[in-house]
Amino acid sequence: MANPDETLFLWINGFVGAAPIVDAAAELAASDYLAPAILAFALIVVWFAERDAELRVRQQVGALVALSSMGISGLVVFILNMFYFRPRPFVELDVNLLFYEPTDSSFPANSAAAAFGIAFGIWGVNRRIGWFAIGVAGSYGLARVYAGVHYPLDILAGAGIAAMVTFGVFRISRLAMPVLVGVIRCLRVLRLA
Amino acid sequence: MLSFTADYCIAVFISTMGVLQFAFSLGGLKGLLFLKSPLAARAVGLAVGILGFSMFFATGARNINDYEGGLDAPDQALYFSLSAIAAFALTLLLSSLVNYGMRGADSDPDSGIDGLRDSNYATALASSITYWRGNWRTLTKRYFFG
Repeated sequence: MANPDETLFLWINGFVGAAPIVDAAAELAASDYLAPAILAFALIVVWFAERDAELRVRQQVGALVALSSMGISGLVVFILNMFYFRPRPFVELDVNLLFYEPTDSSFPANSAAAAFGIAFGIWGVNRRIGWFAIGVAGSYGLARVYAGVHYPLDILAGAGIAAMVTFGVFRISRLAMPVLVGVIRCLRVLRLA
Repeated sequence: MLSFTADYCIAVFISTMGVLQFAFSLGGLKGLLFLKSPLAARAVGLAVGILGFSMFFATGARNINDYEGGLDAPDQALYFSLSAIAAFALTLLLSSLVNYGMRGADSDPDSGIDGLRDSNYATALASSITYWRGNWRTLTKRYFFG
């Protein structure tokens, strides 16, 4: 009997072929290049778009936290994958594949960990752009399940790791605030912050 | 068609140029805008931001494994950073030329990015560096130790 994760995966992936436009949208959303770029652009907006000087420094600290969370989340996934390897769905099941066949571990999803690392970092300092970024990261994850390259649990685990890492980085950032503010002040001299 | 990497760099470069204009207009940083009207800069910036990646996805198959011509994560991060920095540098240069007349004579040399509301980047940077060169001992102490 299939486990709930596989059952949910098969249900979501089973919609492939029903509507070509949805398949095309999912291929785009699942791409390695679109969602990461949108999230990076969201960081640019977070950095420059705030008019109030105090809020801007807070948001710029948040942007540095988001970048750190992305990197550390990726590192955590890399370390976990040294001890645990889960085959991709297309290796074990009969799936409708809309994507190339990645060779790395399915669990936890590295892509989701990195994307949610940025999204949660932004959310911590700017709710409006943060919800947008979480929406982008969520669509990225869902599209990857739909496209047949991840189980839902892989995405949830990636997002969970990113949430924990981002929370931790925000806590540490309070201790490291003088350093972060120092970096921002250096950029301020160059009129970049 | 150029190589996959070149296509990606061009897409990031074009989109970053647009996103920067969008962000600068939201932040009221008129000294960094190419257009006089912030609303026009926002609309054009958004359109250019979308255009860059639309071109990328419209001109070839992009869901490709890294060993078949795509980019792995470190390469993607590297090329994204380089292309975005190039777009940023060109924006600073072009906006300084376009807004040559914006000299913000009264702006605070210690105002950081806020000085770019009424001054172009080259002028604001020059005033900031001159100010720091003359007061670096006091400012370093104030900025980083107090």
